[in-house]
Amino acid sequence: MAGLELLSDQGYRIDGRKATELRKVQARMGVFAQADGSAYLEQGNTKALAVVYGPHEMRGSRSRTLHDRAVINCQYSMATFSTAERKRRPHGDRKSTEMSLHLKQTFEAAVMTQLYPRSQIDIYVKILQSDGGNYSVCVNAATLAVIDAGIPMRDYVCACTVGFVDETPLADLCYAEEGGGVSSLALALLPRGGQIALLQMDARLHQDHLETLMEAAMTACKGVSKVLDEVVRQHLQEVSVLTGE
Amino acid sequence: MAADMRLPVIRKPVSLIVSTDRRDLVVPGDVITSDTGFMRGHGTYVDEEKLTASVAGEVQRVDKLICVRPLKTRFNGEVGDVVVGRITEVQQKRWKVETNSRLDSVLLLSSVNLPGGELRRRSAEDELTMREYLQEGDLISAEVQSVFSDGALSLHTRSLKYGKLGQGVLVQLSPSLIKRQKSHFHNLPCGASIILGNNGFVWLYPTPGQQEEEAGGFYTSHEPVSLSDREVISRLRNCLLALAAHKVLLFDTSVLYCYESSLQHQVKDVLKPEVMEEIVMLTQQKLLEQEG
Amino acid sequence: MLKSKTFVKKTRSGGVMKVVREHYLRDDIWCGSEVCSECKQESTVLQRDACMESNLCSYPHYLLPDTNVVLHQIDVLEDPVIRNVIILQTVLQEVRHRSAPVYKRLKDIIHEKEKHFYTFTNEHHRETFIEREPGESANDRNDRAIRVAAKWYSQHLKASDSDRLKVVLLTNDRGNKEKAEEKALLVYKFEEYIKSLIANTELVDHLALSNDDKNEISSSKVLFPEHLPLSRIQTGIKSGSFLQGTFRASRDNYLEASVFVQGEEEDSTEVLIQGLQNLNRAVHQDVVAVQLLPRNEWVAPSSVVLQDEGKAKDDNAEEEEEEKALRVSAAEAARKPTGKVVGIIKRNWRPFCGMLNLSQIKESTRHLFTPADRRVPRIRIETRQAASLAAQRIMVAIDGWPKHSRYPNGHFVRSLGSAGDKDTEQEVLLLEHDVPHQAFSQAVLSFLPKMPWAITPEDMAKRQDLRHLTVCSVDPPGCTDIDDALHCRELDNGNLEVGVHIADVSHFIRPGNALDKEAASRGTTVYLCGKRIDMVPELLSSNLCSLRSNVERLAFSCIWEMNHEAEILKTRFTKSVINSKASLTYAEAQMRIDDTSKNDDITKSLRGLNKLAKILKRQRIEKGALTLSSLEVRFHMDSETHDPIDLQTKELMETNSMVEEFMLLANISVAQKTFDEFSECALLRKHPAPPPSNYDILLKAGKSKHVEIHTDSAKALADSLDVATVDGFPYFNTLLRILATRCMMQAVYFCSGMDNDFHHYGLASPIYTHFTSPIRRYADIIVHRLLAVAIGADSTYPDLMDKHKQSALCNNLNYRHKMSQYAQRASVAFHTQLFFKSRGILNEDGFVLFVRKNAIIVLIPKFGLEGTVFFDSKDKAKANPNLVFDEEGPTLAVEQHTFHIFDKVKVTISLDDSNIQHQKIRMALIDPVIPGVSVPAPDVEPQAKKPKLDR
Repeated sequence: MAGLELLSDQGYRIDGRKATELRKVQARMGVFAQADGSAYLEQGNTKALAVVYGPHEMRGSRSRTLHDRAVINCQYSMATFSTAERKRRPHGDRKSTEMSLHLKQTFEAAVMTQLYPRSQIDIYVKILQSDGGNYSVCVNAATLAVIDAGIPMRDYVCACTVGFVDETPLADLCYAEEGGGVSSLALALLPRGGQIALLQMDARLHQDHLETLMEAAMTACKGVSKVLDEVVRQHLQEVSVLTGE
Repeated sequence: MAADMRLPVIRKPVSLIVSTDRRDLVVPGDVITSDTGFMRGHGTYVDEEKLTASVAGEVQRVDKLICVRPLKTRFNGEVGDVVVGRITEVQQKRWKVETNSRLDSVLLLSSVNLPGGELRRRSAEDELTMREYLQEGDLISAEVQSVFSDGALSLHTRSLKYGKLGQGVLVQLSPSLIKRQKSHFHNLPCGASIILGNNGFVWLYPTPGQQEEEAGGFYTSHEPVSLSDREVISRLRNCLLALAAHKVLLFDTSVLYCYESSLQHQVKDVLKPEVMEEIVMLTQQKLLEQEG
Repeated sequence: MLKSKTFVKKTRSGGVMKVVREHYLRDDIWCGSEVCSECKQESTVLQRDACMESNLCSYPHYLLPDTNVVLHQIDVLEDPVIRNVIILQTVLQEVRHRSAPVYKRLKDIIHEKEKHFYTFTNEHHRETFIEREPGESANDRNDRAIRVAAKWYSQHLKASDSDRLKVVLLTNDRGNKEKAEEKALLVYKFEEYIKSLIANTELVDHLALSNDDKNEISSSKVLFPEHLPLSRIQTGIKSGSFLQGTFRASRDNYLEASVFVQGEEEDSTEVLIQGLQNLNRAVHQDVVAVQLLPRNEWVAPSSVVLQDEGKAKDDNAEEEEEEKALRVSAAEAARKPTGKVVGIIKRNWRPFCGMLNLSQIKESTRHLFTPADRRVPRIRIETRQAASLAAQRIMVAIDGWPKHSRYPNGHFVRSLGSAGDKDTEQEVLLLEHDVPHQAFSQAVLSFLPKMPWAITPEDMAKRQDLRHLTVCSVDPPGCTDIDDALHCRELDNGNLEVGVHIADVSHFIRPGNALDKEAASRGTTVYLCGKRIDMVPELLSSNLCSLRSNVERLAFSCIWEMNHEAEILKTRFTKSVINSKASLTYAEAQMRIDDTSKNDDITKSLRGLNKLAKILKRQRIEKGALTLSSLEVRFHMDSETHDPIDLQTKELMETNSMVEEFMLLANISVAQKTFDEFSECALLRKHPAPPPSNYDILLKAGKSKHVEIHTDSAKALADSLDVATVDGFPYFNTLLRILATRCMMQAVYFCSGMDNDFHHYGLASPIYTHFTSPIRRYADIIVHRLLAVAIGADSTYPDLMDKHKQSALCNNLNYRHKMSQYAQRASVAFHTQLFFKSRGILNEDGFVLFVRKNAIIVLIPKFGLEGTVFFDSKDKAKANPNLVFDEEGPTLAVEQHTFHIFDKVKVTISLDDSNIQHQKIRMALIDPVIPGVSVPAPDVEPQAKKPKLDR
């Protein structure tokens, strides 16, 4: 019958969260030894692995070299087993190319690329399990990986999707909610300064609602940043203890 | 052959020191100070007159200069650093060397000792035969001569210590694990030699018999290495990995202690997590005893 | 605070798919009780002393119904007596899944503060969430979840100070009850509990009959075939062996119905269903699955008019069999696809208005209820107040229709008042047509402007001042909601400036507030005889928005510059302020135009308008616009009793069409403008061309008088109607136009983004909308808003730009519009009856409009009244006359006389009030005289004026 009820009168969503609550975020940094930086992040059931190489000498075509800053090269992919239906996802399909481009734009806004002229930074992200908010999970995982690689950034980049249901913004949509014909918006934020690194929306939404939605998204991003911050500090703590000083 | 398989377990950090909340750890975006009297060093930037960290790591203050040293980073070479690197390209009058830094390092033809002594003039012919001395894939040891403005390193091998590396094993580790010391070349008493490159590349090789002067560092012996030497080198390699896994600083003593601690295990067992843990513990104890 | 729990679901989409969803369990869901001290809740819903006096529970208690109780006993739960009820999320979800109307009602109850209904989100509570065990069905799991929640509640409440307070689980499921008892829960059957309530005996009447207690009255004899289970229906539909459609009972014949099967695009079919067995307990408006019968069993729709007036309640279907036999004998070439109902996909039951037929047995509590809507079968209900309800109009809801019962079972909902009473009848009429007619709520009224109201300087600044123009309005007499006014003046360059000024309702009704929502839900003002159900409160409709004369009013103006050939040179829209110089009636305006001695500004303006209107009309007709005809009647009401004292057909004057022309012009201009601006979300109105088959009856009728009608296009139809005259039969053309009207499709509102056929057939306009009556139509308000945005006078808001919401709104408007028309007709019919009741018996001339198998339908032009003259009598003592029906003509031969369409007849009209619920106008034939059929002309007081038929 008439679709799912995304938000009950009592203010609970399908999975029991309230409108502004995020899913549970768990993350680990430094999961690979051979990469310069790596991180694994779970946001609810969406799981992503991010790996960073660089900055290093330009590989491949030299012509892309920039003489005043580093080139950021992103690659987004989804594992064949990441969705309910098993599906081979060849590299370079339109969706992942678009997503790669978005990631690139996001990180160009945050990473201090001008410190590394003529070099290249590779960010590879793979979705291991997809349950909504792929873009934001990728951004969050990649942020951790970049920090792990010791690449200077202005601030964390935190991203979150927000949907609009019954005049209420819902933070951090899961797959079931994304599919419910909700206009959703993805926002990547540098939380401390409140600068927006990327804002993406491909559904129709009246301009009157945009502001509330953005505000909700920013609050959600700040929530994400708190969690990431904890993860990073924990990691720092552990590693610096080991180096024993 | 019996394969040793195990399920993934959560890595437990080996720590002798109780973890305490450290103030000097910062994450990107953290404001270090809003006092304008300080100078901005690596890993920081100024945002609205506030000195802000751009990497996660510990704050270091030298007089008025504030830096944040990230825990893990690519190699930031300084003049005088010993590096181990691999030739990636042969260009006109210079080689490009991958040294785990942000840009490939440069080894100028003029910065190498060519066979025939120090005073030999470099001719156009030498430029054409550059590949005969060093070609793509060759490993070298060298010293940082200078740093270019874009951060790339210029190397030289104008000492008999440096030059092309022959038979041995390369271990790539994080540069932050290498302890700065007077010498990075060691002939270990266990029968092998080690070059601890500041860039995190460590070279293990059998201790050579005697130095041949005229080889100029470009001669490599192809004689078979004895089994015992190979075993020692393998053990050393695994010890290095064990130490790195537990983030123990590397220098001749720590490597040696670790080697000694590992002797009761077979070489291949050294990499087993529990063995690793045990060896590292022993090493750390020995180091503490020595210090204390 | 958050606990994550994942579970696995299987869904079917081609194959089996594993769906993993997160399910968070929380610690911060409170119990909602005033008593509780543990929960950190901000506001409580459940009261401390939850007193419902009951024999069973003498202590204060909360009720906790299970899903089936809610689904079936919602009428009881709605009663104000029932308070302090815990609705579990599990229950709410199941209800939502199973019945949308009940869900809606349940939500309404929950929102009502006085009812103290609390929704407990048990599925996300850490202690009440349970996982489905292997082998456990979804239903069993839900039942268990309900029990777990009940257990939690009782322990939770015990823990807090008052241990007197208890939770009572209500269930009708025996298994569930036993299991609950094992767990030491307080559990009762719903009936048990309701019956135990002290001083609330009438609640028992509201109880739905549950299938549990087998109806001992109807013997175990199975009357109907079993309905197929849903799964089999679905596979059947997929494989094409069954068809899915909406069940539409026939108004005239209770044993016949059609199922409208929506096919791809245009290709929809109707399946005929005949006979009780084949109808198989489907009720009007249900969504059903039908199976087509083999072709040799197909029948034609019978032309017999048959009503279920069976003597009280005969459970044996003997008489029906008989009638069936009569029906089947017909049908030759015109067989239609015939089928039988095999299952019900979705019931669409609502409470029905009607009256009680008392049982012959005096003490019986079971009675038969006859709904006012003839398409709905009679319903058996159980009540103890039968005696007092006997003469009343009541509402009844259906609970179920077991296969061994001739009638569906239902229960009494409420009483509307005594039958025959004008107010009651009006109430019934409004309810039956789903017209919202309650007084406006305080929330709605709070958005009205404060009185005294005046135009503020800010308003003035934003608007064009048109107060100097000679604007006037022309409306029917007695009109208080004037929404349009006109002006016309000559410009210096010799051209004419024509303005249509529409009340600026959108200035007062701002989007999204309660006033706006109420208006959107009402959709239209409903005009009944002597009563108007306003769409917006009276302050607006009859005062602030009404463009009365000599007061300043806000308007939305559409101003054209035209030359004297009525060609539009320039169109301009603006918000304005006007001051109407005169409010005229059509007749007054006509008089001014005709009176050559008058030469004031108003009259000049009217003459200019009239001249242009004639040109516009000519142009429109040349383009192929149809002029159709339907008879509209007006009652002259007694000013005190509001009873009709006279009845006459509405007269049309030149000025009527003058106003109409300019309204059409304004509507078309606005439609074009809004569509240009908002191609995706303009609200337009279209009138689809009727399918050719609709014209059959018109063609046949024309042929009977040797007149050829062309129906290939609107233009052809209009032209052929224009030339269709028969000498010596001046009324023929009008009759033909009446018939043509009935062939037309319904015009509908739609959203431009959802459709691509914009054509308005009747007006021959490529695009059309409604702009000119915002006081009485909500569509016009939307159009006003769109236009205001288009000219930059207002800002948009989200719903206005959302084509899906827009289209949902259109559906509601179309529905309300249709219902208001039906209600209007029903009201006219009711007043006609009242009129004839007061006038006694009349003899009138009439024309045969349709010929049926056993009757003719006669139109009395004088009263605009249609009636049926039956030729077969109900009582079996009298022999039926010999009837021969010819499908082709269509003609009906009664004994020696043959009736053709358009025949002139003389009938006697009287009111038949033998059945108080369905009072009707009875017509009997006087002339032509057919022995045994016609009746002698009864004496009537001589009528002063002869009916004037040609006009």
